[in-house]
Amino acid sequence: MPTVIVDGKEIEIGADERLNCIEAARRAGAEIPHYCWHPGLSVVASCRMCLIETGTRDAASGKIAMMPKLVPACQTPAKDGTVIVTESTLVKESRARVEEALLIDHPIDCPICDKAGECLLQDYHFQHGQSERRADLHPFTSRRRDVGPTVTLFVDRCIMCTRCVRFTREVSGSSELMVINRGSKEEIDVFPGYPLDNKLSGNVVDLCPVGALGDKDFLYQQRVWFMKREANVCGGCSAGCSIFTEHNQDTVYRLKPRENPHVNTWWICDEGRYGWHHIHDESRIVGAGRRGAAANQQASFDTVEWSDVVTRLRADLKQAGRLAVAVSPMLTVEEAWMLCAVARSIDPQAFLAVGHVPRASADETFPGGFTIRAEKCPNRLGVEAVISLFDPAVPTWEGLLEHVRAGRADAAWITGAYPTAWIDGDTAAVFAGLACVVAQDFFDSPLSEIATWRLPAAGFAERAGTWVNVAHRAQSFQQAVRPPAGVWPEGRLFWNMLGRRGLYDPSAVRRQIAESSATFAALAGEIPATGVDLRIHQLA
Amino acid sequence: MIAQPRILTPEMVAKIEALAPRYPNRRALTLPALHIVNDVLRHVPLQAVVEIAHMLGLAPAEVQDTLTFYQFFHQEKPHGRVRAFVCRSISCALRGGDQVLDHLCHSAGIQPYGTTPDGSLTVEPAECLGACDFAPCILANDQLLKNLTPESAEARLRDLRTQAT
Amino acid sequence: MPTPFKPVLLEAVGIPDGQTLASYRSRGGYAPLEKLLAEKQPGEVVEMVKASGLRGRGGAGFSTGLKWTFLPKDHPGPIYLCINADESEPGTFNNRILMEDDPHQVIEGTIISAYATRAGTAYIYLRYEYPNSWNRLQAAIDEAYAAGLLGKNIRGSGFSLDIYLHRGAAAYICGEETGLIESLEGKRAWPRIKPPFPAIEGLFHKPTVVNNIETMACVAQIARRGVDWFRSIGVPSDPNNPRDPGSYGPKLYCLSGHVERPGCYEAALGITARELIDQYGGGVWKGRKAKAVIPGGISMGLMTEAELDTPLDFAGPGKVGCLGLGTAAVVVIDETVSIVDFLHNSCRFFAHESCGQCTPCREGTSWSLRMLERIKAGQGRLRDLDLLAEIGSTMGMMPGSTICGLADGAAWPIKNALKKFRGEFEEYIKRTNPHGWMVTDPVPALQIVGAH
Repeated sequence: MPTVIVDGKEIEIGADERLNCIEAARRAGAEIPHYCWHPGLSVVASCRMCLIETGTRDAASGKIAMMPKLVPACQTPAKDGTVIVTESTLVKESRARVEEALLIDHPIDCPICDKAGECLLQDYHFQHGQSERRADLHPFTSRRRDVGPTVTLFVDRCIMCTRCVRFTREVSGSSELMVINRGSKEEIDVFPGYPLDNKLSGNVVDLCPVGALGDKDFLYQQRVWFMKREANVCGGCSAGCSIFTEHNQDTVYRLKPRENPHVNTWWICDEGRYGWHHIHDESRIVGAGRRGAAANQQASFDTVEWSDVVTRLRADLKQAGRLAVAVSPMLTVEEAWMLCAVARSIDPQAFLAVGHVPRASADETFPGGFTIRAEKCPNRLGVEAVISLFDPAVPTWEGLLEHVRAGRADAAWITGAYPTAWIDGDTAAVFAGLACVVAQDFFDSPLSEIATWRLPAAGFAERAGTWVNVAHRAQSFQQAVRPPAGVWPEGRLFWNMLGRRGLYDPSAVRRQIAESSATFAALAGEIPATGVDLRIHQLA
Repeated sequence: MIAQPRILTPEMVAKIEALAPRYPNRRALTLPALHIVNDVLRHVPLQAVVEIAHMLGLAPAEVQDTLTFYQFFHQEKPHGRVRAFVCRSISCALRGGDQVLDHLCHSAGIQPYGTTPDGSLTVEPAECLGACDFAPCILANDQLLKNLTPESAEARLRDLRTQAT
Repeated sequence: MPTPFKPVLLEAVGIPDGQTLASYRSRGGYAPLEKLLAEKQPGEVVEMVKASGLRGRGGAGFSTGLKWTFLPKDHPGPIYLCINADESEPGTFNNRILMEDDPHQVIEGTIISAYATRAGTAYIYLRYEYPNSWNRLQAAIDEAYAAGLLGKNIRGSGFSLDIYLHRGAAAYICGEETGLIESLEGKRAWPRIKPPFPAIEGLFHKPTVVNNIETMACVAQIARRGVDWFRSIGVPSDPNNPRDPGSYGPKLYCLSGHVERPGCYEAALGITARELIDQYGGGVWKGRKAKAVIPGGISMGLMTEAELDTPLDFAGPGKVGCLGLGTAAVVVIDETVSIVDFLHNSCRFFAHESCGQCTPCREGTSWSLRMLERIKAGQGRLRDLDLLAEIGSTMGMMPGSTICGLADGAAWPIKNALKKFRGEFEEYIKRTNPHGWMVTDPVPALQIVGAH
């Protein structure tokens, strides 16, 4: 195994791995500061912050020969015998000078800049910079330039790392961003009439090491040090991009991509990035309601205490007779399984179908490889796999509609949790004649208008559990924010309807599912943050 | 995508396309295309950038990126019919180049890089023109004006401005 | 006074219609090419150029033949030859004269070099500011095609070559070999990080050699007059130093500034600055003395009057603390010039031309210009000299802090000027800023008008 020596410490790297010195040093616990390098973009070595001393150790004699000058760690491959020095005087002085150079013209905007608290220029200044200013003082400007519908640019904060420009050329393939002028007058800009508006635009804000590029959606909303971040999964499509939900006091402020080499690498799309506002939409369904009068129409909903919902809902459905259930592909594997179990405990012949699967016209793949899926729900594969444990036929939503139209059901429990409108009046009317209709959804719809029970749904950040994406990767996540008072996430309701004690524990349900089915065997143990491929264990 | 009448004339397009066989890809035609447009229009307006980009299969931002790097192509309006590059590098500066520049700007009533209101003259500082044997010198359109004094420079340019009308 | 060197590279200068094919042939041109095509393999031509000791004339002085050997063997092609005619180093104009007065010499050298390197296409990247050179070169290229010296299957050798002129747009950094390549490819001329080197992955990601115009002229003369002839001129390598490749061959020296007769003069490599100024240039003008002399284009720094006996070969200027021979463009600065004005002119040039991609050069050139502006405006401080010296010693390829050598060129005039003329800077600052020269805290900057 190739051995690299970092600050005197030996570390082994994989024989097939292609690492640069930043990555190799990281393995040894040394973080080499850098701005322009990013593993998902081409190497330009232009910021010069990562300059280190390197050398080679002769395999036979053990003698070390150091290069006479500094080299960028980002463009230097780490090979067997590579010697990396990250904290010599020469290196420290070089870093201090780069920091000083970047701060000469940088507007000292921190009090009004969103990036404060997560700004590399700030961090490196404190870690590696000089304590006093030596350059001339001049008044600074902080021009704001509109580069697109979702991204704003504070031109003078830019340190010319060109990550954003490279992103639009290499990953999104849309080439909207450019550098204009030459030398110290260079700026980032867009061509007039050709704004930054591709579906991956928001990623340039993540890439910007300083506060030059900003998310209009997040601008001035919250200081980053007040936010907590929870590892989640985006619920926008079947790609299942790993994300961080950043929140404070149960309010979501923004989503960020979470690095996952198996799913989304470093990126998320704008639809997912900004697709959290429905969680705080004031018109979402809150509180459990049951229609007062015997007839399903015309009466309004009476609020029912959740503890009563557990018993009364079961009673209503039992009384109604034959039950049909739509298991929404927005639900987790654990919720889907519990719902099926609850349904079968009410009606042993309950018809279990996959809920409505929202679809756009086609998958969209970008030149860098990132794909936005046409299937706009996160867990169809997971729900299908759960239902297959109960009914190998795995009926679809269309199958459920047929089943109800054919008069083979007396009650229907439709779970949704869709962030947008998904059912029209004609489809809802299919359920109009049933004795008991349960609409468990995020927003009111033609279905909730005719429903007997009107129950709320959880938003993705309020949910805990496991989703399975298009590539059969199962990812488990915790709840990031608590739902509003009056909202029991589906999992909590199903847990209580199964008669389980204590707080809803998705991991307990997960273990139970894993132990009882080959399909989900991979979920038995600790699941890594980047998820696990279900098929690997299915082969056994 | 192109709603307005084309800025690139058929002659310009033909000239650009004639160069295509010289290079293995279209992007390499960028700088030649900018020159072809600039030679006729004395500037490269934004619309021309869009048209060049479309011709070459590039995004307008990519062409504009290249264009602005050179600090050479005017874009908002044409430069003067006489474009006088006045050298300010060391060999010309040692023999009075800065004085020539100052005098020309002053007598034409413009700032460096500016154009006279009648559109006849643009005066731009230039870096070494490679004519240090004739310092101080000016490159005016395609002519090298040599061994200048502030007065002789003004006189030569006056003649050129008259001829260029 | 010794006999001046009989021009070889400049033999066409002054000959009526010297730029024509007919004239070039009558002086012995193109016969060497035809002989090589008929009798020698490309590898043999590489060996010939290597054996001659020819070092690149563009400024770096790297062995031309050795550079050609870096191309991958048996590459399926295409291989590209780029001729660097961007000549923008202040004080330099020898390529201009070669292109205007003897374009066929350049073309013959190019064809021979392309044959040796198996290049099928040669681009001459010609700076915008040389319209006469453009016309002369294009006319010569047209004549060469018409005479069957360019195009397909030249002289039945199986070797084909196209030469195309590609026009620049007034950016100095396009003279850096990978900046040239990026510009040719249609992008902003940001030099590339190396490795990979152009010989492996260059123009359009294919193996590429970039050579200077004067180097091409030398190749033509080596082919005509032989390796021994070339090695009989100049400064042989030091027998005690195996790493010294010597300085062989004739060199075009540009002389300008405060001399009686500015011009381009051909001499054997190794002539001293004093000899060049006095014997070719008519001496310092107006009966004055030289204060400082640039040895090889402004990037190389300064020699003092006492250092004028330094031989101007590849090794000489380095011995007196200059960056190197560079383009051998000698610029004389007389005793009436303030060194502050010199350094301001230099800093202004490099701040304008810095490509801007790497932090130390982009910010260092801008910062040093602002300090020089402030010093010139009478608000300088002694502390500025320390800051300038630090910028001068830390930016560049040599310390490893930048991607290309523009920063070294920007740093060297600062280094040399401060080291060799420190007293004059201090005197100027104290005299013009009597109340503020001692301040060490940061001071308000000037509003710069028209510096860029």
